[in-house]
Amino acid sequence: MDVLRFYAANSREVLGLLGEHLVLVLVSTTIAVAIGVPLGILLTRRPGWRRPILGFANVCQTIPSLALFGFLIPLPFIGGVGARTAIVALVVYALLPIVRNTYTGIVSVDPAVRESGRGMGMTDRELLVMVELPLAAGVIFSGIRVATVIGVGVATIAAAVGAGGLGVYIFRGVSVVDDTLILAGALPAALLALAADGLLGLVERRFAWR
Amino acid sequence: MALNNERGLARDGSGGRVERASERPRACSTRPPLLRLSLVALVTLSSCARGDRIVVGAKNFTESDLLAEIVAQQLERRTGLPVGRKLHLGGTFVCDRAIKSGDIDLYVEYTGTAYTAVLNHSPGPSADSVYQAVSEEYSRHWGLVWTAPFGFNNTFAIAVRQTAADSLGLRTISDLARIAPQWKAGFGYEFLNRADGFTGLATTYGLKFSAPPTAMDLGLTYRALAEGQVDVIAGNSTDGQLEALHLVALEDDRHYFPPYEAAPVVRGAVLERHPAVQRALAELAGKIDDAEMRRLNALADVEHRDLREIARDWLARTLP
Repeated sequence: MDVLRFYAANSREVLGLLGEHLVLVLVSTTIAVAIGVPLGILLTRRPGWRRPILGFANVCQTIPSLALFGFLIPLPFIGGVGARTAIVALVVYALLPIVRNTYTGIVSVDPAVRESGRGMGMTDRELLVMVELPLAAGVIFSGIRVATVIGVGVATIAAAVGAGGLGVYIFRGVSVVDDTLILAGALPAALLALAADGLLGLVERRFAWR
Repeated sequence: MALNNERGLARDGSGGRVERASERPRACSTRPPLLRLSLVALVTLSSCARGDRIVVGAKNFTESDLLAEIVAQQLERRTGLPVGRKLHLGGTFVCDRAIKSGDIDLYVEYTGTAYTAVLNHSPGPSADSVYQAVSEEYSRHWGLVWTAPFGFNNTFAIAVRQTAADSLGLRTISDLARIAPQWKAGFGYEFLNRADGFTGLATTYGLKFSAPPTAMDLGLTYRALAEGQVDVIAGNSTDGQLEALHLVALEDDRHYFPPYEAAPVVRGAVLERHPAVQRALAELAGKIDDAEMRRLNALADVEHRDLREIARDWLARTLP
């Protein structure tokens, strides 16, 4: 209940941080999709690249966020202190589920379907756009869904590098021994994750109907 | 303490059966009468589960880990009790919770931090009165005992790059206030939100930066300052990194910060059960001054030596 009182007294700040949080997640997930989906498609065309690239995405997932920030701060263009560094880190963390699901989705398309496409004289490009991607869309989308939900949670770490977001309350609460502050950050982040999951779940079901 | 009392009371209540039970090697089987329920049982059980092991905690930075290791080894050497370590816990918050719940038996706290962050007093008074105030209140509220301080003061170091300090002739925080409007600051969350943190400092010195200070992880502020991403940070004065990264601390010429003397905080019950712990800790009193603490921190952070080894060497040399 202290949390509600806190929100009433700080509504502007809460909304501001919530907005920052949403922007961090949206921008980073969009970039991760823009990189991850083509990368996943590439892996289905170049099987030799599968192990090194998925291995790299796996390794990225294990880098502690503070260490990653430490590496990024001195770098020009993608580093520094603020939202840019946080977004780079969030993209790195979002890549794995997107790349992996894109690859898996396309690879698990029924070979008979693919063959019949080829039999109809489709080029590789046509096969990809007209057969494989539509059939794999559900799996690809569920990868994006997982990446988004994880992103909502991980974005709280952006507060460690001056990028704001709901993590600000969590960091502040931890540093001054205040449960209310921690909850004030953790609660909306959790609700946001649920909302994102629910919303993307609805979209996913539409894919499934096709 | 609670354990002994309870066993005594239980004996009065239900006679020989319990008495025999308590003579068995595992006193856990002692059953107090129904009156004293969950809390007592919990205390008894947890004491039994841990036996005589002393658990030393530490906050999540090098100095705290290192001091905890020194304390732990000193207890092992002098008392012969088994000593567990729960190091690098998530800051004041977690250590404070852990010692109050009995998950750890002692950790090293700083007087100014306890005074302002835990007890919520506003900063100000002199060294002696802060130590006295915290030890009195800790003992009264939570049965926690402040033993004698190590002898150094780890205050906030308002730090700038050495090159900037030299070229602009910065020596004190008052000097900084003159040029602050052209500078950017990056501070840890703790410093930005503590009662003895940035707000009071800004008021005391009339500090105003070009933008509101960037809030970020404390460890990352050092790197951000060294890389020129920010111009001012608030580090720790005994930190080994300051010198290594060519950073310099400005003097608190208006004496804004309270003293931050490091001392072990111990659960009173442990001291009563094991008087040897008190004696072992007393030997550490006043043995580490500011320069010595900086040197020890640098051994760990700059030379990357193993904490256990640093602690062992230091104890062997200082308290043979």
